[in-house]
Amino acid sequence: MSTRSPSFVATAGLVLVLAALYPAGCLAQVPGIPETIAKPANAPTPRTSDGKPDFSGLWQRPYVPDMSKSNRDQSQIGTPDLPFTEVGLKAWKSYDAANGDYTGSCLPFGLMRSMNSPDPIQIMQSPKYVALLYEQNTWFHVIPIGKQHDKEMRPTWFGDSVGHWDGDTFVVDTVNFNGRTRLDTIGHPHSDALHVIERFTRTDATHIAYEVTIDDPKIFAKPWTNKRTFTLRPDWEIMEYSCEENNKDLYEGHIKPPPR
Amino acid sequence: MRVKHAVLVAGIGLLAASLPLIAHHSFAAEFDSAKTVTLQGVVTKLDWMNPHIWVYLDSKDDSGAVAHWQCEGAPPNALTRQGWSKDSLKVGDQVTIDGFRAKDGTNTCNARLVKLPNGKSVFAGSAEDGGPNKRPPAQ
Repeated sequence: MSTRSPSFVATAGLVLVLAALYPAGCLAQVPGIPETIAKPANAPTPRTSDGKPDFSGLWQRPYVPDMSKSNRDQSQIGTPDLPFTEVGLKAWKSYDAANGDYTGSCLPFGLMRSMNSPDPIQIMQSPKYVALLYEQNTWFHVIPIGKQHDKEMRPTWFGDSVGHWDGDTFVVDTVNFNGRTRLDTIGHPHSDALHVIERFTRTDATHIAYEVTIDDPKIFAKPWTNKRTFTLRPDWEIMEYSCEENNKDLYEGHIKPPPR
Repeated sequence: MRVKHAVLVAGIGLLAASLPLIAHHSFAAEFDSAKTVTLQGVVTKLDWMNPHIWVYLDSKDDSGAVAHWQCEGAPPNALTRQGWSKDSLKVGDQVTIDGFRAKDGTNTCNARLVKLPNGKSVFAGSAEDGGPNKRPPAQ
């Protein structure tokens, strides 16, 4: 689990603004959301008291088990053939999920596999922090705003993230990964040199345009980018998800633990 | 033991399955997409727990011999949002499960479709986890 800052709890408490229900009379149908609770799709982007776009809320995201492919609400920009280096292609071709997919042991998914997971995320926001609460395995990741990377921090599953505003877009820069995760369910590789750049833009009341660029010179010859759309789900609440409570796959030996 | 290694058959009266579901692990880490299985039997237990629900099933073959099976489905969180509840399957229910066998050869399966006593087939599996995407057709 990513524990970027003990300020998380205070931050979360300050910005705990769960999306409210809206009267049915002023609503337009938003795909995937019951008509009786959705905001009009063209309603303006909500803002916080300091004038920044407010990303607070519970967001449904496209599940992306394979980042090289495009589908509804997910676009791999450019060719689906990822620009592997020789080392990267070898790592990809030799991957066998049956030989110890680390997520089967409930080890942390890491940043990208968490961002690619299908379960919703709760976003909480204050002037100093943005917190992403992943329903997947009840993990969280806190992004300080306006700080520099901490070069003394040991490498971690989710990496070291810092955020800044580029106009109305919130940009997250993450480095210092431990290299033990995969980018997606299908198992695209990355190394400890992974550098992830994410751009969050709340385009209207109910959508976030999400863009992520994967930069890993050991594995990929050049950076590549996915673009996605997140949809607000005011009719949902985030739920607990314990990966460990009944992981029969592992406990009964149907799935292998990962190599150490 | 009534185990049909056959092409999966989509049920009738299907519930819409509009949400993407996932295993917490890759399908290929545990299951064999080439080994389909159809199980008809009686529910003996239901684990309505993360990271997957598990349905336990007693399935009889033509001679009457009983085999004990266990089949994993999607996480209860996702199934709840899809309209399932912990009462959707009850001990004693007669069901048919279409799924895929575990690679280790035990009586373990990954459930894709569950045909309920009322004749409805519901998607219970972990689609888009890298495994075969066997889902009911959209209504």
